[in-house]
Order: sequence, then structure tokens, then C-alpha cells
Amino acid sequence: MNNIIVLPMVIPLFTAIILIFFLSYVRVQYWLSLVALVITAALSGYILELIQREGILRLDFGQWPPPFGILFVADSFATILVLTASIVSALILIYAYYAGQSEHDHPRFFYSLILFLVAGVNGSFLTGDIFNLFVCFEVMLLASYVLITLGGRKRQLRESVKYIGINVLSSWLFLVAIAYLYGTAGTLNMAHLAERMAEAGPTPLITVISILFLIVFSLKAGLLLYFWLPGAYSAPPTAVAALFGALLTKVGIYALFRIFSLLFYHDPFVSETLLGIMAALTLIGGSIGAVAYNDIRHIVAYNVVIAVGFILVGLAIATPAAIEGSIYYLIHDMIAKGLLFLLAGTIVTLTGTGKIEEMSGLIRHYPLLGWLFFIVILSLVGIPPLSGFIGKVLLGQGAVQAEAYLLLGLAFLSSLFVLYSLLRIFLNCFWGETTISEGEETPLRKGLIIPSFILAMLMFGLGLGAELLAPYVKEAAETLLNPNLYIEPILYQ
Amino acid sequence: MLTIHLAIIFPLLAALFVPFISKKFANIHIGWFILSVPIILFLTLVQFIPSIAMGETYIYSVPWIPTYGIHFNIMLDGLSLIFGLIITGIGILVVLYSIYYLSREEALTHFYIYLLLFMGGMLGVVFTDHLLVLYAFWEVTSLSSFLLIAFWYHRKMSRLGAQKSLLITVSGGVAMLVGFIMVYIMAGTMSLREIIALVSTEPGPSLADHPLFVPAMLLILLGAFTKSAQFPFHIWLPRAMEAPTPVSAYLHSATMVKAGIYLVARLTPIFGGDGLWFWLVSGVGLITLLWGSFTAVRQTDLKALLAYSTVSQLGLIMSLLGIGSVALYFGQGPQSVLYTQATFAALFHLVNHATFKGALFMVVGIVDLGLGTRDVRRLGGLMAFMPVTFTIALIGSFSMAGLPPFNGFLSKEMFFAAVLEAKALSIFSMETWGILFPVLAWTASIFTFVYSMIIVFRTFLGKYKPERLEHEAREAPVGMLISPLVLATLVVALFFFPNVLSQYLLQPAMETIFPVLATENGLIYTIKAWHGIDATLMMTIGVVLVGTLLYKWRTWQGVYRLFPERFSLDRVFDHSLFLIEKGSSKLTRAYMTGFLRDYYVYIFLFFIVVVGGTYLWKGPLPITLLQDSSVEVYEVSLVLVMVAAALAIPFVQSRITAILLNGVLGFAIAFFFVIFRAPDLALTQLVVEMVTTVLFLLCFYYLPEWKKEPAPTRTKVINLIIAGLAGVLFTLIALSVNSGALFESISPYFEKTGELTGNNNIVNAILADFRAFDTMLEVIVLLIAGIGVYTLIKVRAQQKGEADLEN
Repeated sequence: MNNIIVLPMVIPLFTAIILIFFLSYVRVQYWLSLVALVITAALSGYILELIQREGILRLDFGQWPPPFGILFVADSFATILVLTASIVSALILIYAYYAGQSEHDHPRFFYSLILFLVAGVNGSFLTGDIFNLFVCFEVMLLASYVLITLGGRKRQLRESVKYIGINVLSSWLFLVAIAYLYGTAGTLNMAHLAERMAEAGPTPLITVISILFLIVFSLKAGLLLYFWLPGAYSAPPTAVAALFGALLTKVGIYALFRIFSLLFYHDPFVSETLLGIMAALTLIGGSIGAVAYNDIRHIVAYNVVIAVGFILVGLAIATPAAIEGSIYYLIHDMIAKGLLFLLAGTIVTLTGTGKIEEMSGLIRHYPLLGWLFFIVILSLVGIPPLSGFIGKVLLGQGAVQAEAYLLLGLAFLSSLFVLYSLLRIFLNCFWGETTISEGEETPLRKGLIIPSFILAMLMFGLGLGAELLAPYVKEAAETLLNPNLYIEPILYQ
Repeated sequence: MLTIHLAIIFPLLAALFVPFISKKFANIHIGWFILSVPIILFLTLVQFIPSIAMGETYIYSVPWIPTYGIHFNIMLDGLSLIFGLIITGIGILVVLYSIYYLSREEALTHFYIYLLLFMGGMLGVVFTDHLLVLYAFWEVTSLSSFLLIAFWYHRKMSRLGAQKSLLITVSGGVAMLVGFIMVYIMAGTMSLREIIALVSTEPGPSLADHPLFVPAMLLILLGAFTKSAQFPFHIWLPRAMEAPTPVSAYLHSATMVKAGIYLVARLTPIFGGDGLWFWLVSGVGLITLLWGSFTAVRQTDLKALLAYSTVSQLGLIMSLLGIGSVALYFGQGPQSVLYTQATFAALFHLVNHATFKGALFMVVGIVDLGLGTRDVRRLGGLMAFMPVTFTIALIGSFSMAGLPPFNGFLSKEMFFAAVLEAKALSIFSMETWGILFPVLAWTASIFTFVYSMIIVFRTFLGKYKPERLEHEAREAPVGMLISPLVLATLVVALFFFPNVLSQYLLQPAMETIFPVLATENGLIYTIKAWHGIDATLMMTIGVVLVGTLLYKWRTWQGVYRLFPERFSLDRVFDHSLFLIEKGSSKLTRAYMTGFLRDYYVYIFLFFIVVVGGTYLWKGPLPITLLQDSSVEVYEVSLVLVMVAAALAIPFVQSRITAILLNGVLGFAIAFFFVIFRAPDLALTQLVVEMVTTVLFLLCFYYLPEWKKEPAPTRTKVINLIIAGLAGVLFTLIALSVNSGALFESISPYFEKTGELTGNNNIVNAILADFRAFDTMLEVIVLLIAGIGVYTLIKVRAQQKGEADLEN
């Protein structure tokens, strides 16, 4: 029992509510939310360290013992993601503040909504109760519904209708799936569910229910059912798109990892074959989509899809190396996708267009922007010593060990499509003759480039300093692969 | 031994300081500062020559990610030392040359940063012992090459050339990475030294029996072949000639393109002795040799000619390594030593090629810079104006053609000897195909002779055509001539004293490639220029005779019409990229329709196919209705009302009716709550129903007319089937869940709610106590929804305001 683990959700949540009382003081809102996120990040770092010393932490709300009440569970996997999510959103917040003066002039509830979103994300990572997971998802989704419409441009409203439509359907499916599961297993506590699922084994009914969950989370994660994603991620303003690209699909991925390693790993048809096929098709679809468009925003959005497939390959293979690779890649992808969306958005803002054939020679006026973009390409392709490398290698190792050669091939081939699709942006937009004459370029404010610079440094740090994270990643993977490590401290301590 | 670590990191660190230096000393060509880097490195490495020649190997390890066994291990042995000396030695000359080649108006800071980046990366490739670290540096060299090719990035051709080289080399790199991972799975270590120790000491089953052996080999060779521009991946190298000439001389002839050669040599102890390895390495090498030399002859751009010539020479070295690998098949014994000579020749030619090709590139750079063109059709008669340049060109070309008294003659003869030995092999089906080796080698050498003559004679002899040049012909400045002169001197010196090189550098390298054979005392070679009138000499004479004939008598060149530019591999590559883009676009747009309706169809189809499929496959789920309470008449009638209302909704014509019918559903559910004795839920449901219906009605006034989109009957039928199947499936699962509860529910615990919470209402207790956290969050969800509605209204008001302003 440790109260501290509720804070990564509660701090952003309460700050968000407090901010509503400072609506006309943008600067106060900005600083309060930044401080809240920084504290959240620091606390999650501390929690991560605490888990190393004391094992998995839990908090029973209202002291109701599991499995009867709701509880938060902080294991290394969840906490690493909370930490990364908090850091990345803090940096995106800085960008948003400086972008605000030109882009959408600080919509009124912007900071509150971002904090609500982060609260929902962190809550989803930390909860140990499957119905509470649904509720945390709702907090996150509602915030995202509003964020996507914020600013109210026509394109945004058009995409938001689809986004909300798909997500309402998937939330309904989620609810139905929980009802079926509760009807079958009689409990909602995830550890308790895990125990009961292990006892029951893969009955046909449980397999069918697990597929329902697979559909629900695949919709959220953009695994195969990703068709809603490119539109929704390319419509909102830069900072919001960056938050979406960095965080939202990751919550779905997290849920897939959690549910299919803890509850439904008994039927290999679902947890290996079906997941593997879906991951493979996602890699193919994402790769094809990434080279199909000439609009930066679309190219970038399809790159999100590729990464989803890549990470899920690890879950389908589920050897220790593959899972560790996936975790590393998940952390990397949060940072890299945040950066990629920030840079892509900045390019679009600077040039006023998303079409790559309409821009040229940007590097002459914005060298730092250009090189950061180059670095993020390398990192996404998995060039060492940047952050994508270690995850990719470990995943490859896992795939070879498991003899999953098709997945191995697709996963590594997809990185070539990542390279090609993003290199096209770099060659067309940054190189070539400049079309803007000297002194006429839109100046790029420091506040917009500093967050990107820090994110790029984080990618270097994560790559060169992969060793620092290794104990946490190893422990996270161990807990995922041994459900008893998760069940024990919750039900029997 | 940290020295070597520093040697790799030094150029990388120096790259960081370039911008500061260039700012500080704005009026000095920054190349002069950069020059110190390769000089220091070269001198450092030279000190190791004596001890390496004594057979010593230096190993040093710095942990990087020890948890996953990734260490920054350094290995300095004979093989890496040769490469290290070439990288730093040619590096000195190239930097010196570049100072005169690139004027101060160019983006020198960038140029030298990339160059230093490359130098560090390349040293890293040859000095690291750990496969993953080697891969890291491998990619560094690809990237710096990409950046250097696109140095003049405002030119379209530069960008395309850079893109092509990056795509091909990085693809190869990725394949190689997978190959390395497979090697790791086989050998359990990523340290080259340990793997080689493993395969050379272990008796009995070797890695060759492992199922991953062949895939790993193929993937790694893919990396080596793409990097070393082997057929058919060579297409990037001629395009890379868009880079400034010092870069072409350095990266694209002397060093980077030899990384693949290095890798093949380094891995020979692991894969050598295998038939597939032999055939791939020597076969691809020979094809590359022939195709490269054949294509080089048709080039009119001198740089392109040199590029194809480099491709061809790389093929030559590659094929020698392939033939040499046979030695490992025979194990210890005189026969194996015989074949190691091929490897020895490969190493020797590697050094020779670096010298004469470097000199030739620099010559072409001088011509290009001085006259404004490097098209042979516009050149001629330069000998009188540029005597020094001409001499260098002559030495370089004759060495390349394999003529004495230049080092190329020696290695060419050794090459002929090797292919003749290969012909005599009686393994790997060489009895049948062996004859191809000398035939291909000899034919390719004729073309090599022809293009070597083109370089010298068509450029420097013949008629001077000043009207077709941009500038008048004039000898290059002394500074620019120093580097090629040094190289040309080496070309001659190596002919006369080849055994100095052999003793101090080549033999230690041989011992690292053949650690098993090293103990035999057999790996001692002396290079002789004259070994009597034998087959190899006859082959050389034949080359000269036929070559001269072909050079003089040009009509045979009509043959090139059989290989039109349009169908060249290069164009095929470009065209397939184009097709991939077009195809992807078509495919993606076909299913990404942008209609929510289609996306719903996808979701439900997926649901039906996967869940329904599983349902059928796993056998229908058990449904028992026995323990259910009996269904009363009023319940049936309620259900019928609901069904009727639901069915009617799609057919009604006005919004109001639809909303009201929707309301019927809601109220019917409330009735069910009443029947099942949940009055508080019924109450909640009623309130929700009323509020939503009222809200809907309020909004009506503002909504546009309800227009139904006409859909073809087929779509309607399909939609009906999908909807029906989905509904049936959900119902079946629900029934099955109802009858298949596997465990006792936790709910009895909550029945003691009075005791536990002091609140006797179980629903209240759950909402406000047991699951109060959920309730709080749901309140927040409502708050956010409220904010959303509020902001949307605001947007509308704002837009209206703006619209009014505009009017």
C-alpha cells in the first residue's frame, strides 16, 4: 500500500480542475500545468526506483481489499510508461505555449484538457481494475474529443465526427466485453481475473471474449483497425497531434500487452497467431500508406501505424528478448513520435502547406529544424546509437529465437519504408533551392524548437544510455511474462 | 590500449569543434586544421606496425549495454591495421587535396564535419570487435556518404544520387543486422574474436550445421555486396559521383566501398569453406568485375568511367576472397595454403587499388576543376599543357590495366594465377563450371585495359579542343598535385618493393583471416615480378594485344546498343520506386474512403469474421436456459415492442419519429429494470431518457432537414446482413455467458453492505463507496463533455462574429 502511486493521475487531474478558475490567465495556466507535469514525471521516476526496492506497489482505494474495491497497481512496465508519457507531454506543453501565439491563440480550456488527457493516460497505465480501465479510457477519450475539435476548423470538425463515432462504438464494445467477462469470471480485479482465467484455461467462451477485447484495444491502438487514425491525427493543431501521436495509441498498446500477457495468454490462437497476423497486416498497411501520400501530415500519421505493428510483433512472439525489445521500442516511440509530429507540424506552420512538392530548401533558413528532422528519421529507422536501435535488435533476437521469420522480415522491412517515406520529406522540403528570399522567412521562435531539441537529446540519451533503463525494462518484461509476479502481491499480501 | 578507442572517437569529437574553429579563424581555409586529424591518427597507427607484424593482437573492451552483452570492443590486428592505415593515409592526402579543390565560398564547415564523421565511422567499422557496434559504425559511414553525395544539395541529381545510395546501403545494412542477430543466436556471442575462436577450435559440429547458417550468410553478404557496390547493387556508386571529387576519391573508391570487402575478409573464418559462400562471393565478384569493366568502356564522363571501374575492381577483390575461402574447406595442408594465395592477392590488390584509383580520381578532379568539363569527347591533347597531371594519369592507368612496372601488374598476375587455381578445383561443381573463372577474368581484364587507355590517351593525347572547354588548359597548382604524386610514387614503389608491404602488413592480416592455418608456417608469401613465361604472363600479353586491338578498332562498340540506357538497372530501380508510390497510393485510397459508414462496416466485418469464425471453429458455445426463470407474457410483449421500435427506426421519414422511437427503446429498458426490481436504475434510466429526448427536440429547430442518402439496394442488403449477423453473434455470446458462468461472482461480498459501509442500499454503496473512484472519474468525464459543448458553442459564436465582420 502506497498512496504515492495515485499521484501521477491525481496531480494532473486536480491541476486541470484548478486551471478552470484561471481561465483568463494563460501564463498562470501554462506554468501551473508545466509544474504539475514535471512533478508527475519526477514522482514516477521515484516510483520506478521504489518498485526496484519494494516490488510491485498497490493502492486499494477506500481500503477495500482486492478483489472487491478498485485499486492502482504500479509495476515497472506501467511506471516506465507513466514516466515517459509525463516527460513527453511536458515538452509538448512547452511547444503548445509558444505555438499558441501564432497558431490558435490558446483556446480557453486547452491546458485543462491536456492535463485531463494525461490524467486519463496515466490512470489507464496504473489501474488494476478492468472497469476502472474503461473509466480512465473515457477520461482520456473525452479530453481527446474536445482537443480534436478545439479551434473549430472545418477539417477538424469533419475528422472529429469520425473519430468520436469510431471511439463511441469501441467504448460500447469495451463495455459489452467487460460485461461478458464479468458474467463469466465474476470479478473485475485484473489480478483476480488472471488467476481465474488460468484456472479455467482457454474455454471457447473465454477465447471469444478475449477476441472481443482484442478488437476493442486494437481499435484504440490502431492495430489493423487503424483506418480512423490518419485522418484524426492529421487534423488537429501541432501540439495536440503530437500528444495524440505520442500517447494515445500507446495506451491501446499498453492495454493489449497487459490483457494478453496477464489474462488471455492461454489460447495461442489468439495471443500468438491472431495477434501476429494483425501485427503483420498493420506493418504492411502502414508501410504502404506511408509512401502513398505527398502530405507530410499523412506520411507522419502512417508512421504511427507502422510502429504499432512493430511493437505488437513483440507481444505476438512473447519471448523475453522480444518483450524487452517492445518495451524499449515503446519508450522510444513515445519520444520519437512526439518529436516527429512537432517537427512536421512546425514545417506545416512555417510553410503554410503540408504538400511536400510545394516546399524546398528549408534547411537554409531553419538548419536546426532540418537536422532535428534528420535525426528523428535515423532514430525511427533504428540507426544506432539512437533510441530505436536497442528495441529493434532485441525484438529481432526474440523473433529469431521464436523462429518467427515472417514477422521478423516484415518488421525489419518496414523500417525501410519508414526511411523512404521520411527521407522524401527531408529531400523535398529541406534540401533543394530555397524558395524564400533572404529576410522574408517566417522566424522560428526558440520556444518552438527547444522542446524538439530536448526530445532529440532524449533519443540520444535513451540510445547511448540504454543500460541505465535495462534493470527496469528487464523487470517489466519479467512481470509481463510471469503473471504470478503480478497476482501475488495483489491477492496474497 | 584506449588509444584505438580514442582514434575512433577523435574524428567524431573533432567534427563537433569544426564550427567553432571555422568561426574563430574565418580567414584560413579550415582544411588546414582538419589535416592534423588524419596525420595524428596515421602516425599513431604506424607505431603499431612492428608489433602487429610480430603477430600481436590488441584487444580492449569498454562496456556499452552490458546487460545485453553489447560492448564497445576494440580489436587491432593485421587486417584492421591495413584498413586503418589506408583510411588515415589516404585521408591525409584527400584532405590536403580538398583544400585546393574546394574554395572558401563552399560550405566547408559542413564538408569537413561529414568527412570527419566518415573517418571516425570507418575506423570504427574496421576496429570494432562487436558485431552490433560494427553495424553502428557501418551506418555512420552510409550516412556520412549520403550527406557528402548531397553536398551540393540544391542540385537535383545530387539529391537523387544521395537518396539512392542511402536506400541501397541502408537496406543492405538492415539485412546485415538481421544476419548478425542470427549469428548471435548461433554462436551465443557478438564478439567477432570469440565467434572465430569458437569456429576454429571447436571440433565436431560447427556453425555450418545450424539451420540459420545459410540465412545468416545470405543476409550478411547482402550487406557486404550493397556496400561494396557488387552487381546488381552497384547502381548507387556511379550516381554517387555527384559528390565533390575528393569525396569520390576517398569514400567511393579507397575506403567506404571497401567496407564490404573488409566484412567478407573478416568473416571468412566463420563462413569460408562453405560451397555457397564460395560461389556467392567469387561468382558475384566475377560478374561485377565483368559488368563493371564492360560498362566502364561506354562511359564518356570520366568520373562515371572511374566509378564503373571501381565497381569492377571491387568485384575483382571480392572474387579473390571467394576463391581464397576454399582454403578453409581443405583444412590444414599444402593445398589450402595454395588457395590462401588468392586472399593474399586480394589484400595486395586492395592496397594497390587505393593507390592508383585515388591518384586517378584526383587527376580527373584536376581536369574537371581546371577545364570545366570531364567529358572525354570534349577533352584531348592536354599532355602539353599538364605534363605532371599526365604523368600521374599514365602511371595510374597503366597500373590499373595491369602493366609493369606498376603495382597493378603484380596483383593482376596473382589474380590470373588464382583463377587458374580455381579452375583446377574439383569441389563445389567446379569440375563443370571452373573454366568460367579464367574466361570471365580474362575478358574483364581486356575491357579494363581498354578503359584504362581511354583515360590516358583520349584525355591527354589527340587534338586539343579549346573551343569545347570552359577554361584554358593549364597545369594545376602545386598543392593539388602533391597528393596524386605521392600516390603515383607509391604505385611505382610497390612494384619494386612489394615484399616490404607483404611482410609488415599483408602477412599479419593473412594470419587473422586464416587463424587455423597460421600455425602452419605456410602463410609466407614473396611477391615476384618475374616468374618465368607461364600461363599468367601469357594471359597478360593476350590482354594487351586484344585490348589494343579493341581500343583502336571501335566498331565493336555497337554491341552497347543491345543494352540501352532505358533498361539499365539504374532506371529499373527508379521506375520501381515510382511504381511503388503510385501503387501504394492507389491501394491506400481504395480502402481509406473517409466515410464513417465504411469504417463501421470494416469493424463489424472484422468482428463477424474473427468472432464468428472462432465461434464456428471452436464449436458453438454451450447455451442452457434451464436454470433461467420462466419468461412471462408481459416480458415477451415488452421485447416485441422494443423489436418493433428498433426495426422501424431505419424506415421512418422524420427526425421526430426516429427520436421518439429511440425513446420507446429507452423507456422499455426502464420497464425491465422495474420488472427485475431495480427501482433506482429504472429511475435513472427514465431521467436520462427524458432529458435526452427533450434535448433532441430542443435542437431540432436548428437542424437542417433530414436527408437520407440514397444507397443502392446491394449496399443495403450487405449492411443488413452485417447488422443481422453482428446482432445474432452478440446475443449468442450473451446467452452463452449467462449460462456458462465459470466462477462464483464477487457480488455476495457487497450484500453485507450494511455492515461494511453503514449504508444498506447496495447500489448507493457501490457508487459512493466501493467504487467511488469510478464515480469521481465519471463526474470528470461529464465535466469534460460539458467543456467540449461549451467550446463548440463558443466556436460557433466566434465564427458567426467573424462572418458578420466580413459582411
